[in-house]
Amino acid sequence: MDTKSRSSRQAKAKAASQGLYQRAMKESVLKLDPRVQIRNPVMFLVWIGTIVTALLTINPSLFGPPPDQNPLLFNGLVTLILLFTLLFANFAEAVAEGRGKAQADSLRATQSDSLARKLAQDGTIQEISSTALRKGDVIKVIAGDVIPVDGEVTQGVASVDESAITGESAPVLKQPGTDIASSVTGGTRILSDELTIRVTSDPGKGFIDRMIALVEGAERSKTPNEIALTVLLAVLTQVFLIVIATLSPIANYVNSPVSITVLVSLLVALIPTTIGGLLSAIGIAGMDRVAQFNVIATSGRAVEACGDINTLVLDKTGTITLGNRLAEAFIPVNGYSVKDIAQVALDSSIFDETPEGKSIVSLAERLGVVVTIDRSASDGIDFSARTRMSGTDLPDGTHVRKGAVDAVKGFVRSRGGSIPAELDAEYEHISGLGGTPLAVCQNNDIYGIIYLKDIIKPGIKERFDQLRRMGIRTIMLTGDNRITASVIAREAGVDDFIAEATPEDKIEVIRAEQAKGKLVAMTGDGTNDAPALAQANVGVAMNSGTQAAKEAANMVDLDSDPTKLIDIVTIGKQLLITRGALTTFSIANDIAKYFAIIPAIFAGAGIGKLNVMGLASTQSAVLSALIYNALIIPALIPLALKGVKFRPLTANQLLGRNILIYGLGGVIAPFIAIKALDIIVAAVGLA
Amino acid sequence: MLQGWLQIALTLLIVIVITPLLGRYIAHVFLNERTGLDAILNPLDRLMYRAIGLRSMPDMTGWQYIRSVLISNFMMGAAVLMVLLLQPLLPLNPTGVGMMNWDIALHTTISFLTNTDQQHYSGETTLSYGSQVFALGFLMFTSAATGLAVGIAFIRGLTGRSLGNFYQDLVLSITRILLPISLVGALLLLAAGVPETIAGALQLKTLEGTMQTIARGPVAHFEIIKQLGENGGGFFGANSAHPFENPNGWTNLIETVAMVAIPSSLIYTYGIFTHNLKQAWLVYAIVLAFFIPFVIITAIGEFQGNPQVNAILGEISPNLEGKEVRFGWAQTALWAVTTTATMCGAVNGMHDSLMPSGGFSTLLNLFLQIVWGGQGTGTAYLFVYLILAVFLTGLMVGRTPEFLGRKIEKTEIVFASVILLVHPIAILIPAAITLAFPEALAGISNPGFHGLSQVIYEYASASANNGSGFEGLGDATVWWNLSAGVSILLGRYVPIVALLLLAESMSQKQPVPMTDGTLRTDTGLFTSITGVVILILGVLTFLPVLALGPIAEAFQLSP
Amino acid sequence: METVLRRFWQKRVPRSLLLVLLSAVTIAPTVQAATGISLDRGQVFALVLLGMTTLSLSIYLFVVIVQPERF
Repeated sequence: MDTKSRSSRQAKAKAASQGLYQRAMKESVLKLDPRVQIRNPVMFLVWIGTIVTALLTINPSLFGPPPDQNPLLFNGLVTLILLFTLLFANFAEAVAEGRGKAQADSLRATQSDSLARKLAQDGTIQEISSTALRKGDVIKVIAGDVIPVDGEVTQGVASVDESAITGESAPVLKQPGTDIASSVTGGTRILSDELTIRVTSDPGKGFIDRMIALVEGAERSKTPNEIALTVLLAVLTQVFLIVIATLSPIANYVNSPVSITVLVSLLVALIPTTIGGLLSAIGIAGMDRVAQFNVIATSGRAVEACGDINTLVLDKTGTITLGNRLAEAFIPVNGYSVKDIAQVALDSSIFDETPEGKSIVSLAERLGVVVTIDRSASDGIDFSARTRMSGTDLPDGTHVRKGAVDAVKGFVRSRGGSIPAELDAEYEHISGLGGTPLAVCQNNDIYGIIYLKDIIKPGIKERFDQLRRMGIRTIMLTGDNRITASVIAREAGVDDFIAEATPEDKIEVIRAEQAKGKLVAMTGDGTNDAPALAQANVGVAMNSGTQAAKEAANMVDLDSDPTKLIDIVTIGKQLLITRGALTTFSIANDIAKYFAIIPAIFAGAGIGKLNVMGLASTQSAVLSALIYNALIIPALIPLALKGVKFRPLTANQLLGRNILIYGLGGVIAPFIAIKALDIIVAAVGLA
Repeated sequence: MLQGWLQIALTLLIVIVITPLLGRYIAHVFLNERTGLDAILNPLDRLMYRAIGLRSMPDMTGWQYIRSVLISNFMMGAAVLMVLLLQPLLPLNPTGVGMMNWDIALHTTISFLTNTDQQHYSGETTLSYGSQVFALGFLMFTSAATGLAVGIAFIRGLTGRSLGNFYQDLVLSITRILLPISLVGALLLLAAGVPETIAGALQLKTLEGTMQTIARGPVAHFEIIKQLGENGGGFFGANSAHPFENPNGWTNLIETVAMVAIPSSLIYTYGIFTHNLKQAWLVYAIVLAFFIPFVIITAIGEFQGNPQVNAILGEISPNLEGKEVRFGWAQTALWAVTTTATMCGAVNGMHDSLMPSGGFSTLLNLFLQIVWGGQGTGTAYLFVYLILAVFLTGLMVGRTPEFLGRKIEKTEIVFASVILLVHPIAILIPAAITLAFPEALAGISNPGFHGLSQVIYEYASASANNGSGFEGLGDATVWWNLSAGVSILLGRYVPIVALLLLAESMSQKQPVPMTDGTLRTDTGLFTSITGVVILILGVLTFLPVLALGPIAEAFQLSP
Repeated sequence: METVLRRFWQKRVPRSLLLVLLSAVTIAPTVQAATGISLDRGQVFALVLLGMTTLSLSIYLFVVIVQPERF
């Protein structure tokens, strides 16, 4: 389900992104506006540098007699390359934003402005525009309407089509009061009946609006880590600005004057333009990746925090195990055979529509037992919390029951039956296996025990192994008893578990972990999960969950798949890794650029021997370094948008691997590229 | 030749052996654990506490610590400036020296107050014994102790402790570390032949029958604190090249080891504070990885001598120009690298006469400031680089970077960045101004690449609080005194403020427990990365001036 | 006319630009006297403006370092 919805979302995004690149090109020219550029310190310097070299192209002797040969051509070329450096950086950002916009547009399509029926306090209905709705208003929607805003059902029962958001085509039942089914999302369509809804968000503040804002990058505020990186980039830029500004008198003193154009070129080559140009694109693309996973994040901060998570608090049901327990075996007592108990179990389950009941039927049928009773003449007894049993009353007056062992014991005793001693032994045996035992009886006779097994989700153990390698601890919360919980915990490979957990335990566990300095992520859906979701550093609410839970969380999973928490952690890490890798690459590049430019411009000072790369001339060296500097930005756009592939390794293995690729690679790559460019520049005769 | 290398290796070996011993002792002192000297020195401590009016010693916040450093330094500076300006009127002036120029007095005060000890004068003819011993000798202890206190406070903050009390740290640095070691060292120097007297200069008749004045004085104790405290301001103008300051190989060995002893041991002290000696030794290895190659290339340069001279001689002969023959190429090369690495600044030969490879190494030492580095501050800078390396590469493991379990965020980066920025500002800007007006301001003796090195060296030495001179500069002018004074002040107090605030911000963070997802900083891989980060951030900044200074000069000299 | 001038003065960007230009005019002769090379008046003025641009960039970067949130 979840891959299907994602691919349909991607298909939609693709359709909307026709002309994405054309629009991005237009955007990258518009972004040359200084008011935009000043927000990016590194690129702002390039912008100023471009203007200076442009002026020098118009009048080469603007700052005195030019020391370069053929200054008009050289200055013109430098200006052009600098301009393209700016355009490439703008393009990277525009593409990232454009992809976000495409995604946002497909979401926005669900949010058409429509008429809403507002229920006034006196009970009269007035039709107003949905944008005029405010938090706390009460509205009425009837079959066929698009629900205009996020809200909570206060009256009525109706089926709602949420496919616009989740991609899941089966309609969902909504009704008031229930934990799970009482919240509705704006943009979904009510299919039957009518609902009274209390509006829970102001227009433009709903989940979809937040997601649109986030993926478009419109209201993107910088994340803490991005801010720290911005400071460091500004410092490096400042250092090189000082180095270059003071170089002129120093070089003049030793009679190796350097032209302003060359100084500007050297400055642009040294400041970290690669990461400076791609930084915002990386951030926007990260948000976009989260959105592609059908998760709405309310802030970039939350996505980044995912990378730092130390502990995952997970509910057993739905996350670690499949939601339902399945019948694994029949264990007869009182000398009955397996077939005997299978027959009784089958009889007791023919009206049971729960997955457990169905699994009992199919297990019995696999054992070759067939239904012998007359369905139409029999009565099904549903499970209730009071009786904790279900079963069938046969036409001949026989009562077959299955249910919690205590309950069945009581049922049998009340009919004068006796309890065989082996029953308790089997009960404990099955608990010890992590299973849930159900006793089966016919009238006052106990036939045995059905072993219901929790099915651990396929692949979950491997996921936890990966998490452990990444240094993330998993804690399982379950309502099961200790023995059962410990068995499941062992089988699933979680690090710790809390058995017989209450909702209050959740928040306790989170607080205890946080007190140790850990960052905790959890998923939840019920109203009583809301405090824990708010307490957790990353709280992911299920879209099927209550409004309260969604309000408290900082992410909402539209597919309501709790396992996705693990993917989100990966995305957070990927975001940080991409940023770090490109920063390292950008700074490592400086070594080669220095070795290309410094010996070339100071060849007159007799340090020509340092020209280890054998570059053709001063001008070709400067041009090659600058062209490399410009071209590396578009070359890295795909990586910035896709993100560096994350591998579940320990930190030290990751560091070793990435430093090899981006650190050492960043040192070596420009040497090769600049040399190649120099050969081309010299061959074409530009310098 | 072999003898020279053996001398170098032996000295290094002694340093490495001393490191854990002294490092452990310093840790004991500042962790307030009992040391053997408590019985004798506790009364002295109490006396000093009473003298500065300190009754209780509460832990200080970052700003309180900073305020204490600045106020105490300002008071000491003002007092010493008065002494220097009024020295003709004050006692203990047997040589009868006169008034100092205001600019030289100001520069000298700033210079000694900040542990720089850059000297634009000759001690024996400009300063009275009283000024030397009570004004400058006093600052030699307090400035070294200030640096040590700041270094210790930084380590405390980094390891999650509160910063401590500046006055207590200051007193303990003096009574527990500087004073006892100086006492032993001074006695050793005395035994080896360094004079200690308050009698005036000696007048005697030479063999040729002319009268000669031989300057002398209370040299031995001045000498040892000059070395041990990374001060470097000589009693005589010729500094440790003078036969009374440094008469022979033994004194040279003692003085060289004294220079490195505290900065190297402080790395070990850090290891004890963090309970991670492995990391301490790895960091130690980074420093050695810079230090040893510097010594080697400098020594080779001096051993091979000037190629142009060799061409005339027709043989390879060591470059002994500007050197004391009793030390030769090896001990001079080792000393030159050590004194610039440790921000001591004492010299036993003319750095101006070093071959370009020596100029390159000494300049690079001054630029980097972490190859041992200054008293206390050098170790702190080392960890600032470690923090920057964690931040740059730590993102690549997919977490917010952490150092010692504490997250590196905006605040830390801002303070670390300030430290990174001060040096280029305080060196390159005044150097560029000076070189823009060479006739008016510079007074350079050798024009061209060497002259460039002289000017850069002067400001680098000032900003790094080293104090050694490339010499050859007519630096006793108002311009040099004031501009170098500004560089010294910037290079001293701005980083101290940033270091203490950085340390406080780190100490207040909730530590994050270590998991497999945490980037370990005590591995060989990470340590190597730090080395490269130091190279990129530290060296690339100054590569253009290195290229136009010593590197261009080397190519010019080579045939 | 007066209101135009006042409005001009109240805007931050034009005001600082004006101040920069004025100080460039003031500094230019000193620089011209100081540089040994013969440059014409326009070149010196351009050079001084370039220096002031560099200085402004440096100040701008300091603002970014201290208050990165604003950018």
